[in-house]
Amino acid sequence: MATTCATVSPETKKPNSITINGFRISTQKLPILKADPIEEMTRKLGIAPPEMIFGDNYVAIEHEKGNWGINFNAFDALDLVDKTGQSMLQVAYSGEWQKSREKTHEGIKEVVKPFDWSYSTDYRGTLHPNARPFEPTTKHIPIELLKRPDPILFFDEVVLYEDELADNGITMLSCKIRVMPGRLLLLTRFFMRLDHVLIRLRDTRIYVDFATGEVIREYVSKECEYEKVRQMLAATRDDIPAFLRDPNRLSEILPLVEKRSERLVLDD
Amino acid sequence: MSDLDRAIEQLRACRLIPESQVRELCYKARELLIEEGNVVSVDAPVTICGDIHGQFHDLMELFRVGGDVPDTNYLFMGDFVDRGFYSLESFLLLLCLKVRYPDRITLIRGNHESRQITTVYGFYDECIRKYGSANVWRYCCEVFDYLALGAIVLGASSELEPTSNTALSSMPIDDSELETEVLNSRGEVTMSTYRARQRSSSDASTDSRNISPPRDISAAPGQAAAPSRSGAPGTGASGDGNGSAATSRTGAVLCVHGGLSPLIDSVDKIRLIDRKQEVPHEGAMCDLLWSDPDEIEGWGLSPRGAGFLFGGDIVKQFNHLNGLSLVARAHQLVMEGYKEMFDGGIVTVWSAPNYCYRCGNVAAILELGEDASGGGTVARSNGEYGRSNGIVADNRVVSPGRRYRVFEAAAQDTRGMPAKKPVADYFL
Repeated sequence: MATTCATVSPETKKPNSITINGFRISTQKLPILKADPIEEMTRKLGIAPPEMIFGDNYVAIEHEKGNWGINFNAFDALDLVDKTGQSMLQVAYSGEWQKSREKTHEGIKEVVKPFDWSYSTDYRGTLHPNARPFEPTTKHIPIELLKRPDPILFFDEVVLYEDELADNGITMLSCKIRVMPGRLLLLTRFFMRLDHVLIRLRDTRIYVDFATGEVIREYVSKECEYEKVRQMLAATRDDIPAFLRDPNRLSEILPLVEKRSERLVLDD
Repeated sequence: MSDLDRAIEQLRACRLIPESQVRELCYKARELLIEEGNVVSVDAPVTICGDIHGQFHDLMELFRVGGDVPDTNYLFMGDFVDRGFYSLESFLLLLCLKVRYPDRITLIRGNHESRQITTVYGFYDECIRKYGSANVWRYCCEVFDYLALGAIVLGASSELEPTSNTALSSMPIDDSELETEVLNSRGEVTMSTYRARQRSSSDASTDSRNISPPRDISAAPGQAAAPSRSGAPGTGASGDGNGSAATSRTGAVLCVHGGLSPLIDSVDKIRLIDRKQEVPHEGAMCDLLWSDPDEIEGWGLSPRGAGFLFGGDIVKQFNHLNGLSLVARAHQLVMEGYKEMFDGGIVTVWSAPNYCYRCGNVAAILELGEDASGGGTVARSNGEYGRSNGIVADNRVVSPGRRYRVFEAAAQDTRGMPAKKPVADYFL
């Protein structure tokens, strides 16, 4: 895939972890699932998982004292995908394709197992069963503090799933985490580009301040029709294909759909 | 040493050849390919390979595991380009080998061998980056238009010759033949399945067994493991008609990139397609390169709104009508490198290990042996057993013996590129 998305080494087998100020941060990266676990996941989810399913991968943040923790994994993210086909997209040439088949379709009308095959999810992480819940807030993640060049003690990038949409674009859910001496930032990004149809970006950020025990979760959803984005870019750029592969740059121009902030403070 | 041999040597070292040479190569390749039918006939023995996707170093690993050209007869089922970083080196090497040894390597078209797809998924960008213009991309796309749509493998043996360095102590039970074997990249057998030799329709019953590990590789997901598979798909068929398989009790093997089409009920209909064009968005040619098997009955539409899915009954019927015992296809990533479905009626072969340099999957190639029993040149009691009793005459179509060689991605240090470790960055 000629996208600019994460490239992680499958050689990393053991969970990586760091413990700092009572927080344990761990990640695990393994190869895509084999046939048998895929079968099992299909059965449990009720939909076929994406082509590249990193079912064993995760990123976890745990507060050692407070019985509080949150983790990000593929199964829970996929469990939030629409399984009914109600929010189903169609590839760009679907109309053309179906029209051309009208005479020769030989009665093939049934869509097999309809579901949202773009695997769009608004997953914001899985909280520990007894973890204290977040509460809505108007407070934002302190971006200025995160812009400081503090040393990065721990960094990882973990793909949870990816699908090439049968060569009609890309859909991908991946996590990035960086841990500095005083704080950490976790970004879980869902990025979906259905060529000539839609571009969708859903970011969940977790910010932890180690000194105060404050945790902020921000969810930002953006999307736009593909053609509109292309036109926006056409006026000013000539590297449109590369731009359309780069969620970082797309994030700057896609219109906001939804934004939610939540927070909680963990006791010592 | 000819220019062509020099080009092959250069490309094997992952170094590109000059643009003028690419032009000449593509011209020669087109001249050669235009003479091929839509469905190329290939005689066993042959080694069948799936998607490559520009993973040049893994293609070298494939040749190491499967043998070099021209020693090994190869059939590549398309998707040579896109996604990997070395689409040019991979495709041009395969093309050079095709021109140099036309009878020892067969290339058929995948859905990525198309102008539209390559502009989105990397090959076009790679051509611009490495040659500074779109000329080479254009030459290659012209070759794509001439690639065959499928291949028919004839004369495959129903029984595998046992691998010499098998580490397994258990020998085949009497009256059974080695049907499938899986080898790792060191050539060690990791799994074998046997089936009963065919005697008569009454007692050619369930006698196949698995050894180490005990699972049936032909079992489709969701089905209970049912190792009994002495009869071929379409058992009882008279295997009449197109005669392609008439001389051998092993049915022919159809190789296509994607799968079947509702517009195609016979192999001969594939031969009627006007293939010398960009891959269209519809029609039989599109389906052959795009469709997927699925655990359904009959035909279905992909939930994506374009593309067909086909079930086991469709495969069984198609194989039966065409005297085929197996459809080999590529197109879909499978973690184990190969995946047999529908009682062994179709197999997906995937030859790009650690796909996109991050999936961690293994790859496989499929070897089909030559049926020596038909010609009677090799003294072997097997295969003649039933015939001497005059009972095999029911012409049942038996699937070929299948040897899968599984291999992993080439070591990182052979790639001449840094290992992909995530680089810490101050993302926000």
